Amino acid sequence: MATAPASSNEIDPVTASVIHGALESIAIEMGFKLMRMSYSSIIRESEDFGAALIDAEGRQLSEAKQSTPLQSGPIPGYIRGIWRQLEARGETIEPGDVIMHNDAYAGASHGPDVAFVVPAFQEGRIVGYAATTAHHLDIGAHTPGSGGIVDAIDTYAEGLQFQAIKVYEKGRPNHQVWNMLRSNIRLPDLVVGDMEAQIAAARIGAEAYLGVIERYGLATVEAAGNALYDSSERRMRAAIAALPDGDYSATTHIDGFLDDPDPRRRDLAIKVTIKVRGDEMTVDLTGTADQVPDRPINMPLEGTVDCAVWLSLRSVLLDSAVHGEIQQNSGLTRPIHIVAPEGSLANPTFPAPVIARFCPGIELSNAIVQALSQVVPEQVCGGCANGGGMIFTGSGKNGMWVHVDLFSGSYGGRYGRDGMDAVDVLYANTRNNPIEDIESHVPLRIMRYELRENVAAPGKWRGGVGSIKETLFLEDGGASVESEGHKYPPAGLFGGSAGRTSSLLHIKADGSRVDLPSKVPYRGFKAGDRLVATRGCGGGYGKALDRNPADVLDDVLDEYISAEQALADYGVVITDKLMVDGAATAAERQRRAG
Amino acid sequence: MKLIGVDVGGTFTDLVYTDTDEHRTQIHKVATTPEDPSIGVITGIEELCRAHAIEPGEIDHVYHSTTIATNAVLEYRGARTGVITSQGYRDILHIGRHQRPQHYSIMQEIPWQDRPLARRRFRRTVPERLIPPLGEVLVPLDEDAVRHVARQFRDEGVESIAICFLFSYLNPAHENRARDIVQEEYPEAFVTTSATVSPQFREFERFTTAAMNAFIGPKVRYYVDQLDHRLREGGLKADLHIMRSNGGIATPEQVVDTPVLTLLSGPAAGVLGGAWAGALSDRHRLITFDVGGTSADIGVVVDGRLGEASARDTWIAGYPVMVPMIDIHTIGAGGGSIAHIDPGGAFRVGPQSAGSRPGPAAYGRGGTEPTVTDANVVLGRLDAGNFLGGAMSLDADASHAVIGELAGRLGLAKLEAAEGVITILNANMANAIRSRTVQKGIDPREFALVAFGGAGPLHGAEVAAMLAIPEVIVPPHPGITSAVGMLTTELKYDTIKTAFQVSSELDLDRMNADFAGMEAEILRQFETDGVAEGEVDFARFLDLRYVGQGYELRIPVSVGAIARATIEETLAAFHRQHEAEYGHAFPDTPIEIVNLRTIGTSPTPQIEKPVVNQGGSLEAALVKVDRTVFRGDDGLVDHETRFYRRDRLPLDQPVAGPAIILQTDSTTVVPPGWTFVADRHGNLILTSGGR
Repeated sequence: MATAPASSNEIDPVTASVIHGALESIAIEMGFKLMRMSYSSIIRESEDFGAALIDAEGRQLSEAKQSTPLQSGPIPGYIRGIWRQLEARGETIEPGDVIMHNDAYAGASHGPDVAFVVPAFQEGRIVGYAATTAHHLDIGAHTPGSGGIVDAIDTYAEGLQFQAIKVYEKGRPNHQVWNMLRSNIRLPDLVVGDMEAQIAAARIGAEAYLGVIERYGLATVEAAGNALYDSSERRMRAAIAALPDGDYSATTHIDGFLDDPDPRRRDLAIKVTIKVRGDEMTVDLTGTADQVPDRPINMPLEGTVDCAVWLSLRSVLLDSAVHGEIQQNSGLTRPIHIVAPEGSLANPTFPAPVIARFCPGIELSNAIVQALSQVVPEQVCGGCANGGGMIFTGSGKNGMWVHVDLFSGSYGGRYGRDGMDAVDVLYANTRNNPIEDIESHVPLRIMRYELRENVAAPGKWRGGVGSIKETLFLEDGGASVESEGHKYPPAGLFGGSAGRTSSLLHIKADGSRVDLPSKVPYRGFKAGDRLVATRGCGGGYGKALDRNPADVLDDVLDEYISAEQALADYGVVITDKLMVDGAATAAERQRRAG
Repeated sequence: MKLIGVDVGGTFTDLVYTDTDEHRTQIHKVATTPEDPSIGVITGIEELCRAHAIEPGEIDHVYHSTTIATNAVLEYRGARTGVITSQGYRDILHIGRHQRPQHYSIMQEIPWQDRPLARRRFRRTVPERLIPPLGEVLVPLDEDAVRHVARQFRDEGVESIAICFLFSYLNPAHENRARDIVQEEYPEAFVTTSATVSPQFREFERFTTAAMNAFIGPKVRYYVDQLDHRLREGGLKADLHIMRSNGGIATPEQVVDTPVLTLLSGPAAGVLGGAWAGALSDRHRLITFDVGGTSADIGVVVDGRLGEASARDTWIAGYPVMVPMIDIHTIGAGGGSIAHIDPGGAFRVGPQSAGSRPGPAAYGRGGTEPTVTDANVVLGRLDAGNFLGGAMSLDADASHAVIGELAGRLGLAKLEAAEGVITILNANMANAIRSRTVQKGIDPREFALVAFGGAGPLHGAEVAAMLAIPEVIVPPHPGITSAVGMLTTELKYDTIKTAFQVSSELDLDRMNADFAGMEAEILRQFETDGVAEGEVDFARFLDLRYVGQGYELRIPVSVGAIARATIEETLAAFHRQHEAEYGHAFPDTPIEIVNLRTIGTSPTPQIEKPVVNQGGSLEAALVKVDRTVFRGDDGLVDHETRFYRRDRLPLDQPVAGPAIILQTDSTTVVPPGWTFVADRHGNLILTSGGR
């Protein structure tokens, strides 16, 4: 049974608990308001945004639980980046300032994820920050939209870079910045509308945070913050301490650019070694491929790599389905150290481009989960199929339109459970857009959106099943694609089969077909053309011959697999009447085992 | 008129009888019979009639709230359900929004994948496709395919069928035709269409709503038949009406067709009961605060208008349902909430609850976890000898033992720990209220908190204090406020139509035609109930958002032909509401009219204001004087406190706290610095600041 900490904190546990509740409630309010107010579907439908309260020392106090993990995780890094850049320029933060920031080499997750930070002042001194981040539809890259910019050769090609820019100074809007911004991005009304929503939400957060400080006093709130970090830190330390000391490695691979003649741009390894020592761990990425200096699949160490590491670790070690909800805050990350060689994919050097770092980050997460499978086999899953997405654009009668279609992936099989089907995976958790919303607002038609059949990866607990989605262009337009997993299937675990790769097909109006790689820079499409996105399936867990025959029958009845596959993959004999032939199954399994 | 309201809860079935001619009201409580709750209902009615010499045959109306539908979903025990859907989209119900319920979990469940309302083997597709903007036919319905699937389902023992086609909210013709075909081929099946239950866009949510309707349909139909049968057997001739989640009642026939509309039947009745109690004392800006053993339900009522949940915020057992519901915010906080230290060392209360079995340690039923009730006992606020009017005795020693053990682990004195449990719980509840008020631009200081349910009056004043709410109202019978609420409602039917019009190019003729069609539809429903056109009142709303946004705000619009000027007023109101709720408006951005909504209501007989006796005296009401503990500015303070019997209190005589007021179904805590008065309308009014 747990006991309370020795009273090193100068706060009683009751007040601490009450203040934690208030801080969490404020972050949720910020997220709620941002989501409700925002214009672009990537924020309001896909929920690709973050909101957090940060203390005066740059530590995260609380995050909005609606936000996608990858967005709230990096906010402390944004704050540190802002500090560094302001200090270098000899500037200070003043009351009424609103700071815009998206520099991926100074804490930002990547360029499209623009943060707006509102400082909270009490009696002339900064007592914390409220920050919102959101993925913006366009950030002024060389092709439309802010995804699928897979051919940017450096960070300048990725779009506008905001390095701690004060869009409000002492409460006054900096019109020149806004004017310049509007003239350098596509869809300025949409994007600026979303930015205004971000600012409004951050201001509400800062005000409410000050309310808490006024009510309880700064010293008490600081003590409550410390108690919160300490409490989270203890939970993570306890989880790490439960692991045997040792080094646990795993390697995954990304396609990179499969159609590129340069071998240094494809088949890239991501290697993770988790070194457990007592109640701390070092996650060492040595062995990861060198950076690709002129293609944007590099992952900034701060903002992507660190978040991928933290979020994957906590999903396994402090799984919320097992441990309950635990607030994401800076205490959770204290016992975790990250090492990544400079100049590698996991720690690129400026100005190597990084905008398409999302999918490599998923493979990094996969590597972490696979490495942990060696120590906590009942808490992990087989390899997960990567996600990513497509940006559809065009210029119709109502002007330019952009639609973001985020891909789902699927989970590998788990101890006691099959993998989750057709969901966003690991450090990402966005949402798709309703077909009825898409077709009502942009000239696209979704011809098919279903699960794949006859491809689930066998295992005692089989891998999750990916989706297939077919999109028809009703008018001429274009698409850019940013994805992974066309070559490397998700790994199987403990005797389970590897999963299935993803693929992408362009069917032209005349019926001709072109197979596309996982990364496609802006490509034109004609009315009547179709894009078929077939998504990967997660790896199996455990030996297929150990799978409960009743579960195999269920999969046949549900048409995930055929009766022939039941026999071939699982040794389960299904009769014409769709029942398990128990005797024949036992004999078949016996024969294969022997 | 003789009316009975029956609310079936998890533990008790509460009944209220009222005779509007004789101005007489009686209450009664029986144990809920979970296997078949209709048994408890009829037992309760029979006992109540016997006890008060009421002739069952003379009862005119029975109003009922039921948890049958909710429990079927929560326990995942419904019909074998099939779905007929558009070819190419077999797995909309399974893929959902491709989002996991939890961010940080490998081992989580996804309700719609792990507990599918219709398994994949029973999801069949047929050729058909409609397209926006008006639901034009792209692929005609393949009627033979529908017929074929219907026969298959019959042969496979599928009991209930949901027909779910894309864009059916724009044009229900294909769904309706498919329903007719299924009914021809398989007349015994329960058949539902997605446009009937929820004619609005977002296919996953609409299909889920329809599949859930199908999943629970046969069970609800059976229950309603059973109940009706038992009522007739018991000699009742009364009209039966059932409460729905929108706060209105409907006939059994309507409920049987669309049981998914009854999922929040009980909590909705609670909000109505709270609204009624507030109105008795002429308070019309109310926050209802219904606290039981495991959860607290919070609602907001302004001038009798109940907040309605946004279509995207309504979930049952982890499944989204897009149907009209009163906006009720539920959190896991109640008398049974368990206080614990989490593995990181933080002190927490709830959301786990000891429920009623084993219940708090004080119940003496084997509970060993420290709960909120135990903390109240330790602080002297619950009197071991006078719990529920003495109907149940509490084991104070057990409470002291479990709270003492918790205090040891926290390194706190026992009283500090007990008071901490209450403060943390109250803060959780205050945060929940804040999310429905302050965070939506509503100032709670202008409201009264109506505290009811078994535990609401114990915590109401301290929660109100946290939010600077100046006044708390405790209804006459806090424990049965939901049952009373049912006697305050009216027949109510909603319709909705997705419009997708933009303010800059409005087609008013289309809007007027749509509204006229919707009102005709509602009148048809009332006609089925035997209600004439003249007895129906309409209210209209538009669900509006700025073009590009994804969430709508509901703004009222006037009834009758809508002119440009009418719309301009509504749009201006939207800008104001947006500013109020989100702290920001975009005045230059065009507005999209997403949905049209119409609500038709028709009055039914209701409970009258209670007639209150002339009251007693403080001396007569005084039960005892004892010690209670409250937090003061400088720590805990031990107060000499008077305990009163509520039914003997004098009327209109303000009394300063601290005080504890006892009655059979609840206990009211009046903290130091608060004053209470028993008013002429049967309410207790608690006022902060000692005025």
